[in-house]
Amino acid sequence: MSSAVLEQFRRIGRDLFVAGLVSSHGGNMSVRQGDRILITRRGSMLAQLEERDLVDIGLEENDANVTLASTEIVVHRAIYQQTSALAIVHTHPPYAIAQSLVKDEIVPVDSEGSYLLHKVPVVEAQLTAGSAEVAELLPRWLKEYDLVMLRGHGPFAIGHLLEEAYQLTSVLEMACRILTISEGMGGELKEYRKGSDQYGSW
Amino acid sequence: MSDGGAGAGSAAVALRAAGDLWGRDVPASLARLRELYPGCEAGVIGPAGERGVLFASIVNNRGRSLGRGGLGAVMGAKRLKAVVVAGGGERRPPVADPERLAFVAYEAEKLLKANPITSQALPEFGTSVLVNVLDQAGALPTRNFRASQFEHAGAISGETLRRDYVQRRAACRGCGIGCARRTSTGDASGEGPEYESIWALGAACGVGDLKAIVEAGYACNRAGMDTITMGSTIACAMELTEEGLLADGPRFGDAAAVIALCEATARGEGLGEELGQGSARFAARHGRPELSMSVKALELPAYDPRGMTGQGLAFATSNRGGCHLRANMLGPEILGVPKMIDRFATLGKAGLLINMQNLNAVLDSLSVCKFTAFAMKEDYYARLLSAVWGETVEPQELLRVGERIWNAERLFNLAAGFSRADDTLPRRLLEEPVTEGPAAGRVVDLAPMLDEYYIARGWDTDGRPRPAKLERLGLADPRPAVGAAG
Repeated sequence: MSSAVLEQFRRIGRDLFVAGLVSSHGGNMSVRQGDRILITRRGSMLAQLEERDLVDIGLEENDANVTLASTEIVVHRAIYQQTSALAIVHTHPPYAIAQSLVKDEIVPVDSEGSYLLHKVPVVEAQLTAGSAEVAELLPRWLKEYDLVMLRGHGPFAIGHLLEEAYQLTSVLEMACRILTISEGMGGELKEYRKGSDQYGSW
Repeated sequence: MSDGGAGAGSAAVALRAAGDLWGRDVPASLARLRELYPGCEAGVIGPAGERGVLFASIVNNRGRSLGRGGLGAVMGAKRLKAVVVAGGGERRPPVADPERLAFVAYEAEKLLKANPITSQALPEFGTSVLVNVLDQAGALPTRNFRASQFEHAGAISGETLRRDYVQRRAACRGCGIGCARRTSTGDASGEGPEYESIWALGAACGVGDLKAIVEAGYACNRAGMDTITMGSTIACAMELTEEGLLADGPRFGDAAAVIALCEATARGEGLGEELGQGSARFAARHGRPELSMSVKALELPAYDPRGMTGQGLAFATSNRGGCHLRANMLGPEILGVPKMIDRFATLGKAGLLINMQNLNAVLDSLSVCKFTAFAMKEDYYARLLSAVWGETVEPQELLRVGERIWNAERLFNLAAGFSRADDTLPRRLLEEPVTEGPAAGRVVDLAPMLDEYYIARGWDTDGRPRPAKLERLGLADPRPAVGAAG
């Protein structure tokens, strides 16, 4: 593993925790390197990642390192197998999770969220963590959207780079905070975006 | 050339004798075609293509060139002067969902307008804005790649071009970016030069005289020649001269020689006749093949891989050789698009590059300008196409199409005798460290990058697509894809 890759994981992992997007031991990240996946260790603390916390495991086939890999390895592997993603960030952001409990899709109203996301589908599974059900469900949505919300659990964001997936995650949580605040204020939303009535069809 | 005689008609195809078109330069040929077929669209070759200059281009009637790879020489060999599309009426393909298309196009335009590359840099300066950017990064190849910064970069920059020579902006039809330039030196006027031309006829040759560079570009445009290969071949000749291997040859910094050699190459006179075969043959003939800065015998464009290693991998793996249009790591390695990555790092770039190669193959098939990709990702192209077709096209599906194209091209190359040994860079870039500037001390450590790339492509260690990969791409029987070469 190159030091540049470890540094990238450390930097973004720390930011995810500091931003309140994960709890102390929550969330996971990975990058694809050819036919290998580099994924955070099960139970690792994203804010305090060390070299031992990154697990190198096969994309197509399991190996002994599956004993160490994140619980979500099955989901990450399925996403990489079925999409062109090169990086995945999965987090547990509170406002986004709250929004997912009352909506079937999240349509941001703020400028940045509208610009980058347009719409975020909310999908539902009975077994939300590391399940074959999620592994079967999520890649289908991630073929069309770079970020998909798993109801009550959290978003999976993909990108060509870890930083891209992190950015989408961060933008989603900010958009959901703004949504939650503005909805709580009552009153009618003053629309300022041309074509926003079509965002639901994005 | 005889009249094929398919006859006139709204959808007829006919072969017509070139007549007095043969022998005319590009502007005169296009002017004559406009007289013969008012309102036509055309692609022509100039004297270079007629004479078999191996880097002859095809130029359309908006002054834009199919510059690389010598397609003009192919037309010339077949004694085909021009391809003309004439006739009236709009024949636009039907759009299944115009309202949806308008919505997605509006959203795409928002991205283009918000991105400073597509909304300011390219509209304001054209592609030549890159001269100073690449120079500051230590990735502007200078004097046949002997250095990676040019002391006269400011004098040949986009800023100077705009101040002293640009008359007006120009754009392809319907484009809001408008990167093209009409220029005048007072003595002459014409199209360009683009960044690559300024570099090839300027920094690559050690020439800091922008007026001479502009006029050398005009000479190439009139003759229908690729400016990159022309400049790079002259630069090769200059180094051979400096090395004492070319008697009375041109020397670095000689602006007049650059113009004269462009014109001589177009006419097939003197040293120009040799230069018309490109730098690979030229350098080999003079005993120093390694001084051709080319990959698969196609000259490299204006990015020194020692200052951006991912671009080195892009050049080495490009199916048509040293080309920046198949994939350009300028975005992630220099401009921070989509995000800034470590431009000197060796590993971890293969996936990003492959995605770019696959997407560019699709954009070429869609005839979409690659500059839009500075602002847009593949999901936008997929949504635009979905609106036109009226059925959902997933971004992944587009990339899969690109991957299929890339692998089909690879199979063609393998059938033509290319191998891993050809996926390389000029020895200088692998072994001679840059001596000064931000890239000082750097070379390209290509072998591990290539290993990583092949694995990520699903190819074996020799660069051959594995059967499982071909099966997944529908290329298990490659014959339809590689045609006669198979």
